Amino acid sequence: MDLSIYIGGKKLVNPVGVASGTFGYGSEYEKLVDFTGLGALYTKTVTLKSRSGNKCPRIIETPSGMLNSIGLANVGVDRFISEKLPLLEQAGCALIPNIAGFTEYEYAAILKRLEASHLPWGYEINISCPNVSHGGFTFGTNPAMVEHLTAKLRRITEKPLIIKLTPNVTDIRGIAQAAENGGADAVSCINTLVGMVIDTKTKKPVLGNITGGLSGPAIRPVGVASVYRVKRAVTIPVIGLGGIMTADDAIQYFLAGASAIQIGTGNFVDPGIPQKVLAGIKDYCEHEGMKTIGDFHQFIE
Amino acid sequence: MKQIQAKVTGNNQIAKDYYKLVFSWEPPPDTGPGDSYPDFPNPQPGQFITIRVSETTVPLLRRPFAFSGYNAETGEASIIYLKRGKGTEILAGKCPGEYIDIIGPLGNYLKKPENKQKPVLVAGGIGLGPLLYFSSMLDQWQIPHLFIFGARTARYVPDMNSLKNVAICTDDGSKGFAGTVADFLNNFEEKELEHTMLYCCGPLPMLKACHGFATEYDLECYVVMEQIMACGVGACMGCTIKLKKPQGYARVCTEGPVFKSRDIAWT
Repeated sequence: MDLSIYIGGKKLVNPVGVASGTFGYGSEYEKLVDFTGLGALYTKTVTLKSRSGNKCPRIIETPSGMLNSIGLANVGVDRFISEKLPLLEQAGCALIPNIAGFTEYEYAAILKRLEASHLPWGYEINISCPNVSHGGFTFGTNPAMVEHLTAKLRRITEKPLIIKLTPNVTDIRGIAQAAENGGADAVSCINTLVGMVIDTKTKKPVLGNITGGLSGPAIRPVGVASVYRVKRAVTIPVIGLGGIMTADDAIQYFLAGASAIQIGTGNFVDPGIPQKVLAGIKDYCEHEGMKTIGDFHQFIE
Repeated sequence: MKQIQAKVTGNNQIAKDYYKLVFSWEPPPDTGPGDSYPDFPNPQPGQFITIRVSETTVPLLRRPFAFSGYNAETGEASIIYLKRGKGTEILAGKCPGEYIDIIGPLGNYLKKPENKQKPVLVAGGIGLGPLLYFSSMLDQWQIPHLFIFGARTARYVPDMNSLKNVAICTDDGSKGFAGTVADFLNNFEEKELEHTMLYCCGPLPMLKACHGFATEYDLECYVVMEQIMACGVGACMGCTIKLKKPQGYARVCTEGPVFKSRDIAWT
């Protein structure tokens, strides 16, 4: 059995990653998790300038899920490179910074600065955060803009370039194709779905930002369906995420066509989930006679 | 900070809807020899744990609870919680001998007061837990202090006989002083307040009132804050509150839960 996968010609030792925004800059979980078991660590989204984030409250639990409106709170790319990335030098897994800009120029400027560091394995481009106005969200819903942005970033880096897609569109396949046409090496799907909770006592939205992004097991079927549809629209690898808590959840994504997966909200529930999921995938492969992740893709047309 | 399976050694109702869960670091029997938790750091007052109350997805997120006590000799720690939703309902059903998935100790803590300082602990409702633990530490340090506890009504007042100097306030006057803890504080004479330091934990309106009182008499005031949390370890940036100093947002789980009341941007 060989669970390694390739994205843009570069190898990930296993297909299990931790999703951006759910694992901080890594160091927060250092005392709880052995990173060497992870295939990839997607860091919290980094922007050109630091951001303090949205008004509080920023999170609320929902049935089998949670809403967040963090608003890309982060230290900004310069401090990310000088303070956060070096902490991960010994992490022993692929480091994939997740980046977001408010203009094409910003995306490019962040990527150029990160290119000066040897530490990133590749990049995940957030064109799909639902919690910032005038942000990547507009990029992520417009195929022409996605293709243009991807092509621009493609010219800056030879490292793997992964475009993270939003489900908050009419047809996610068109966006995925635009990313591929622009030169992306893979797409991740899905980011959170826009949601809202209202407090009936105060008659006001619970979140300070009014709406937030829904994640957790509640969105898993949406993620699996998105991977299934996107896989059949592009030739590049698809990275599946949305509500994965167990190996069985991850295996559904692989069967739908994913080459890799990410654990997101599950990290909050139990930081040990990525390791448990990886162990469970191995057991399943052994039991079902699967030799590679590609073997999963033959069962559903 | 560590993630462990802690053994429940007690889980009893102490007042209406209030429960005390006692647990130890003892590992489950199937973890094998030598696999104990000797290096689990001693929790400090103000620090908290998060508990995954069930393996199901409703409730989903871990729930944060402040330590209400710790016995270094027996290795037993406790939390006090209010049964008010699905998560705490499940927690109330845990029996001695069961194991719970905990991460902790988390957050900063209440520090030992300096000489001369006269601590006054002000707890409202479920804010009782961390201040009970702090009170026991003050006793160990032989620092006399007043403990003020406020509740809606007598049914919400647990047995407080272990406290040496306690004032109980109930909103409806069914036990102790009739009125809020803020009303009680306002009965102090200014000269009595010299060197007084306030340590407060409770509902937001109570904390605001304590902060207002501290400001009026220029007292040092520490508050133990509460906020909805997702990760509890500083990664998600979800549990923030707004600060005046340093200006911006601070994570209750990491920069807190203990803050100087004057640093908070009260709204």
